Amino acid sequence: MLLKNTHNELIKILAKPRSYIGFIALTVLIGVILLAMKADGENFISFVTASFEQTLSFNGLILNGNLIAFIILQMLIIHVPLLVALVTGDLVSGEAAMGTLRMMGTKPISRNSFLLSKFLAGAIYTFFLTLWLAFLSLIVGQFMFGTGDLIVLNSDGLVIIPEYDIMWRYGLAFCLAYLSLLSIATMSICFSVFSDNSIGPIVSTMAVIILFTIIGSLDVSTFDYIQPFLITTHMASWRSLFEIPIPYDAIMDSIIILFVHIIGFTLLALWWFNKKDINT
Amino acid sequence: MSEMIVSVKKLKKSFKGFKALEDVSFSVYKNDVFGFLGPNGAGKSTSLRCMLSLIEADDGHIEIFGKSLRKNRFEVLSNIGSIIEKPDFYKYLSAFKNLEIMARISGRQVSKSEIEDIIHFVGLEGREKSKFKTYSHGMKQRLGIAQALMHNPELIILDEPTTGLDPQGIVDIRELIIKLSKEQGKTVILSSHQLSEIEMIANRMVIINKGKSIIEGEVNELLNSSQMMVKFSSDDPKKFCSILTKEFSDIADLKVTDSEIEFEINRENIPEINSLMVGQNINISGIEQKRKLEDYFIKMIQNEK
Amino acid sequence: MKYILILIIGLFSGAYTAQNPAQDLLNKVVEKTSLVNDYSASVLIKPDVPMIKSLPVKAKIYFKKKDKFKVVSKSIAILPKQGFTDVNVFLSNPKNYMVVEAGAKVINNTTTRLLTVIANESSSEIILAKLYVHPKHYVILESEITTRNSGTVKVNYKYSSQLSYGLPSQIKFTVDVKEFKMPKSFSSNPHKVGSSKKSNRKTGVILLDISNYVVNQGISDAIFKN
Repeated sequence: MLLKNTHNELIKILAKPRSYIGFIALTVLIGVILLAMKADGENFISFVTASFEQTLSFNGLILNGNLIAFIILQMLIIHVPLLVALVTGDLVSGEAAMGTLRMMGTKPISRNSFLLSKFLAGAIYTFFLTLWLAFLSLIVGQFMFGTGDLIVLNSDGLVIIPEYDIMWRYGLAFCLAYLSLLSIATMSICFSVFSDNSIGPIVSTMAVIILFTIIGSLDVSTFDYIQPFLITTHMASWRSLFEIPIPYDAIMDSIIILFVHIIGFTLLALWWFNKKDINT
Repeated sequence: MSEMIVSVKKLKKSFKGFKALEDVSFSVYKNDVFGFLGPNGAGKSTSLRCMLSLIEADDGHIEIFGKSLRKNRFEVLSNIGSIIEKPDFYKYLSAFKNLEIMARISGRQVSKSEIEDIIHFVGLEGREKSKFKTYSHGMKQRLGIAQALMHNPELIILDEPTTGLDPQGIVDIRELIIKLSKEQGKTVILSSHQLSEIEMIANRMVIINKGKSIIEGEVNELLNSSQMMVKFSSDDPKKFCSILTKEFSDIADLKVTDSEIEFEINRENIPEINSLMVGQNINISGIEQKRKLEDYFIKMIQNEK
Repeated sequence: MKYILILIIGLFSGAYTAQNPAQDLLNKVVEKTSLVNDYSASVLIKPDVPMIKSLPVKAKIYFKKKDKFKVVSKSIAILPKQGFTDVNVFLSNPKNYMVVEAGAKVINNTTTRLLTVIANESSSEIILAKLYVHPKHYVILESEITTRNSGTVKVNYKYSSQLSYGLPSQIKFTVDVKEFKMPKSFSSNPHKVGSSKKSNRKTGVILLDISNYVVNQGISDAIFKN
């Protein structure tokens, strides 16, 4: 029943116009960034090396597809969750608003299977959105700008990663990015279970992301205790894959925190959904 | 007596302190067209939602096909087709796709040809590829019935299925229900707030009000009872009453106003009363009679307003 | 009389020669390098600069008289701002500077002669150059170049097969590296790796191993175009 209803959920997702907003938005956004970089990328990257250029010169192909992909990921990783929530936040509450939750609730499928199939469909949707992000940023970026070493700016300074050492890092980075987006999807589906209207969970998810991002960026000692546990703190953990050496322990911590969020939200949603009276 | 399909005992349900159901009990037998009657807000939909596990009752017991609903949800619901309130489907999908989705989780294998057959059965052929949002109210109702029937369930639960339909639509639904019961041997539970509707198609019924079962039984017995509520209009109600109580001992519920006398009496006595009063030179300007239960139901609705 | 004249002429010659021995030595250095019209070579660049993490990079360098220089590398190669040719171009015109001999220093078991070169023009990029020159081979073993905009760069040279042309097999640059400040948004890093181990080093080293020289075989100008 779980797989059958997952099939149903995917049909519903594919049929809804809003499911394509994320893909179109990514295409337009990334397209604009790529064109901007093509037009004025050199000036943009001189900002990265500016402090060193009094004493050093950087030779070679700095503005290449690998750097472009990094810049795009950096810019969009806070915005893409909103595109995910637009679809996943509506999965349960949208049905409640439409009345179809009542129809489906009378069918011989357990509430656990019904809800888990929505989580599964949401996860699949998020996967394809991440794949599209990867394709546009990395593949199209490399096609337009070629490949080369990746120069990355972090709090310790510059890291230059050789070309041969990049693709596997991007592979893992997109896996981490997917995990981050999956945690957001799970959170929005959980909110969706508590609501009977379509917009509430989407707006709540956006509000949480914005609030946690602000808390995470504030250098206030009061927040030091909670920052390591915020979902948004670990959404940027993919960046650590572009360090030398890679802090595997810290990345593993992020993965664990994200998984804890995913499991926690799923269990909370299942608990409430089983308890809930379907009155709509 | 035929086999008991549904047994509901002492159902209770509250929502945030409001008692929606206090004590609802009834039984439904195989091949019944069972009328579930009550005014708006009586608890009909709540009871049906409990039977379909949309709502968890606070107390009480529900057995369907001899099995506890709580413990055998999959088996029980696989054999039930239902429409609760209005039929809602996915607006952005066609009727056929909607039925496919429902079929996939109906608990039984439903083939594409069976879906096509049911679409034909409910009179929607030619419109199955249209999106649900383009459907009229009557077409939506038909599609609702299609999804309730397509997996060939033994029990069909319909919550006010004629609401919002035009007269022809109402007739069509009525005929369909009779057909399902007589030709296909289905058991149908039909809820309504209209006594006339239940009277026309149901063989057994229960009346509920304010979350409680009031009366249950065969429709013929309940509604064709010889006991009637009669209202005489007269210019001399006092004299009327005096003669009435003297000549007839089985009068009940006597009420007198300035120009009307209302009471419960066996229907056979009505012509005799009329003749008696006329013979005593008491002017009778009008006679109104209702079946006792009908009268009770109408008063229930009036109180609710 | 005749002998007195010869003595006087000899003294004057000696005096003339003794007037600018530093310039003479420098001229010999410049003369050697001017034998090179063009060259290409393979270079392995190993940077060790605070706040830059980079692996060694292979590149190709091209030079054509008098100041065309190009580094060709697919990888990102970090080199000192002050290029390979700046010093040679500066030294090739004696009118640009004044040179005095200022001592000696032992470098790699060789007693080198220290030449201090001071720019004449106030607008010159190179303000001061200290050159430690091999007295026999007329090559620079070590230099300290102070520039207007790029601080002071210390360079160490090693020579092998191309000693006759004065082309080094190894160059070690020691450069000033200022504290780097960047916008927080660019540097957000949830794991803040290494931030507790900020380096106090103020200098960085870039080591170049140069090999496979091809000298005076002709190089097209097209290579030097962007």
